[in-house]
Amino acid sequence: MAVEGLDGSIGVGVGWRPEIADTLAALPVLPFTEVIAESVRPAEPPPALLSLLERGTVVVPHGVRLSLGGAEPVAAHRVRHLAEVAEALRAPLVSDHIAYVRAGGLEVGHLTPVPRTREAVDVIVDNVRRVRADLPVPIALEPIAALFDWPEDELTEAQFLTEIVERTDAPLLLDIANVYANAVNRGEDPTALLDALPLERVAYVHVAGGEESDGVYHDTHTDPTPPAVLDLIRELCARRRPPALMLERDGHYPPADELRAELDAIAAASGYPRIT
Amino acid sequence: MSAPSPTPELGDARQRLAARQTALAAALVAGAEIPDGFDERRVAIARSALLNKRAGEVAHAWPRLAASLGPRWRPVFREWAAGRPPRGSLRDGFDLARALAVTRRLPREAAAELAEREGFWFYDGLRPPRRRRWTPAPVRVPLGRLRVYLMSRAMPASAASDEVPGTK
Repeated sequence: MAVEGLDGSIGVGVGWRPEIADTLAALPVLPFTEVIAESVRPAEPPPALLSLLERGTVVVPHGVRLSLGGAEPVAAHRVRHLAEVAEALRAPLVSDHIAYVRAGGLEVGHLTPVPRTREAVDVIVDNVRRVRADLPVPIALEPIAALFDWPEDELTEAQFLTEIVERTDAPLLLDIANVYANAVNRGEDPTALLDALPLERVAYVHVAGGEESDGVYHDTHTDPTPPAVLDLIRELCARRRPPALMLERDGHYPPADELRAELDAIAAASGYPRIT
Repeated sequence: MSAPSPTPELGDARQRLAARQTALAAALVAGAEIPDGFDERRVAIARSALLNKRAGEVAHAWPRLAASLGPRWRPVFREWAAGRPPRGSLRDGFDLARALAVTRRLPREAAAELAEREGFWFYDGLRPPRRRRWTPAPVRVPLGRLRVYLMSRAMPASAASDEVPGTK
């Protein structure tokens, strides 16, 4: 089955950030990129991003603040903004996380895990359906890296995610670094999760680096992609290669050479052509 | 996609989830106790990681404030921010810089940055900063407003700003 919103084989990409816009513009080809949706004004998208669009790059608006896993339905103005950004960038789909970022008037400032309960699944499914009804394109759902679990968890991660994407018929945005981080922090085998997830629903994949501190692996996006995560890309692609894989960097931006080397490593692990 | 049809059961589920999520959020960013049943060590690690991430975001928005404190930036920020819910980098930086100014701990370079921002934004310490229509010259910080700020520490969480950049 073709995943709704993204076709076949697009290739390797990297998340667009203003700090690395020049490096991305200098790449000979960039099949795929993503922009933080909340940072885009629909009437005036960044010109550098529009140039990439003209060159044929697929641009996906990636939300970080919908709070799809929150107890409240997503506020209408947030959905409207996301829809406008999708239209401004002619995006085939948008994405956000299975997480919450605010509750009871408090902004947490980060993606926070939700309890893996049947009741929470019902709430998230309702939230996602409402959002989807007001968007022009599908919304891919991304599981997060969690430093801790909830005491009331009833479902495994795979059961929880599968139930949500199947009931909402949503594509999955799989963060392979999160799969690695969660497995390390829970003392589990990351390939077991790959075996249990509906990989045919994966629209695209996030790849990122992290660091170990306080005895846990933090998904920082500010460190190079570790070899173990590249190995996991090989494991994933051996099972089913996703339409696109994309490097996420959010700070401590490396020199252009190092960034290109990281993109080459992702291309080699996935079997997609180099973009450098 | 079919129109959602809320049920009474879903309403109850939302209420229970809201209570649990709020209790955890309060433990993560507002200094509340960690709810029963969580791995306290892990939640404490997450709380600490949130403070570091927030310190980085505020340093980005207030580069001279962070740079002028040098290696003390992170400890100073963490001490100030612990238990204080995020209100967005612009506002967090305003609040911290003003607090340091009151106790005469604001380095000269950071004071210049604060003065520029005071000229550009109208910020009463209670509501999100708004752009001034004109820039007053010379710029100065009215002391009354600083007192308002100090008292505002006890403000209800519901007034927390929605504009927190970057959750990732």
